[in-house]
Amino acid sequence: MAYVITEACIGTKNTACVQVCPVDCIYDADDHFVINPAECIDCSMCMPECPVEAIYPGDEVPEDQQGYVTRAAEFDYSGVAPGVELN
Amino acid sequence: MVELKRRSLDEVKELGSEEAVEIMRQAGVVGAGGGGFPTYFKYKAPQPHLIVNSTESEPGYWGDKLVHKEYLQEFLLVMEAMKEIFGFEQVSMGVHEKDREWFADYQKHADNDGVFDIRYVPNTYALGEEKTLIKHSTDKRVPRFLDTPDGSRRPGMPLDVGVIVNNTETLLNVYNALFLGKPLTTKFFTVYGEDVDTKVYEAPIGASVSEILGIAGVDVENSGHLSVTDGGPYLHDMAIEELGDGDAYVRRMTNSLFLLPRGRQGKEYASIETEPPEEGIVSLVGEVSGVNIPLGGGLLKPATPLVSEGEEVAYEQKIGEPVDEGFSIGVWASMEGEISSLQNDIVAISGGAVPQEEAEAEAEASMAGGAPPRGEAEPFQEAESAG
Repeated sequence: MAYVITEACIGTKNTACVQVCPVDCIYDADDHFVINPAECIDCSMCMPECPVEAIYPGDEVPEDQQGYVTRAAEFDYSGVAPGVELN
Repeated sequence: MVELKRRSLDEVKELGSEEAVEIMRQAGVVGAGGGGFPTYFKYKAPQPHLIVNSTESEPGYWGDKLVHKEYLQEFLLVMEAMKEIFGFEQVSMGVHEKDREWFADYQKHADNDGVFDIRYVPNTYALGEEKTLIKHSTDKRVPRFLDTPDGSRRPGMPLDVGVIVNNTETLLNVYNALFLGKPLTTKFFTVYGEDVDTKVYEAPIGASVSEILGIAGVDVENSGHLSVTDGGPYLHDMAIEELGDGDAYVRRMTNSLFLLPRGRQGKEYASIETEPPEEGIVSLVGEVSGVNIPLGGGLLKPATPLVSEGEEVAYEQKIGEPVDEGFSIGVWASMEGEISSLQNDIVAISGGAVPQEEAEAEAEASMAGGAPPRGEAEPFQEAESAG
């Protein structure tokens, strides 16, 4: 059950989650970061790092944020490298 | 002042909780699973449920599993004692489903004496993370974040749902302190990866990584194509970027020395499988030529040194007294020998197995090389930038 990044990330995109993810499964989806559920190992390390509390365990995502579960599942990861460009 | 001495089960059970906490602090017990959080502090606020995290998760690790095989009686005793001292209503071991057979001897003692049970959790890799373990082994959920009485907001912790989590080796170190009066001077870890047969060592804290790899049969001088991580494929710190150039030291939270070709990513080895070494755990106590022991580092305020340069120390002699402010622990000599240096809150002990001049020449060479020595303490980094 992967973790999910929700609405609070939009306009924030703090990269703390990206830095701690041990499997580099967090991708830049333009307006927010997104966790690839196929790669997430459910370790929870990203969750406490988020300054805006945008990250939830997959089974605890609030009703009004469920769209982000779908967005993470349907995002096309094939054309993007994980993480952020540092320059 | 508490005393570190041998105690029977009855004597341990009679310890007051504050006394037991102080023994853990003086003995220098910190989270051996990788966190390094001072164990004594968790027990300052006893909770109803103790969960022993036996879900060794990094691919290829064997340390905790072998420790459980070898120290069954010790675990049963310490769990019984902890229940009495801290008033736990339940003591559990968290074990991966795939490890049922490995823990069969524990299962025989579970569920029938009111002391402890085993909670089998899914094999999904979870990095031994406390909150994930609680989620899988109880009906509780550690809150993501919560407001504290002082108005601040912080990530949830196990104690927020009445749980204390200790890693396997951490609890064994608690046993050593309470029952044997033995302070923390060693670390169990797995050596594996490229060009090396899998080994599990109990090595003195502060031992040289290069020296240990040499003992493990690695041709250190001619292995510049390899890197060594302190940790496994997923979670690790780089210990030695180019083997043979620079050195690193066994930390209180070192769980593995993993060798991989330079330039490769650890996670490329996520599917690595290893067999436990036939010889089991091999002790390197008394087998290394020197150690560099940090008096603090990470969350820990440096202990006050009790020794000075040139002084001879015995194995398990106390060399650092915990300070009263912040987190701080007692520090003990992990080998006998002479204090060869005391700077930047690192106590170096030279044991004479390698001539002193040679050791110094090696140290100078590694300092002059690209990769400076690395330890768990920030003081190392401060020393580097200052130098």
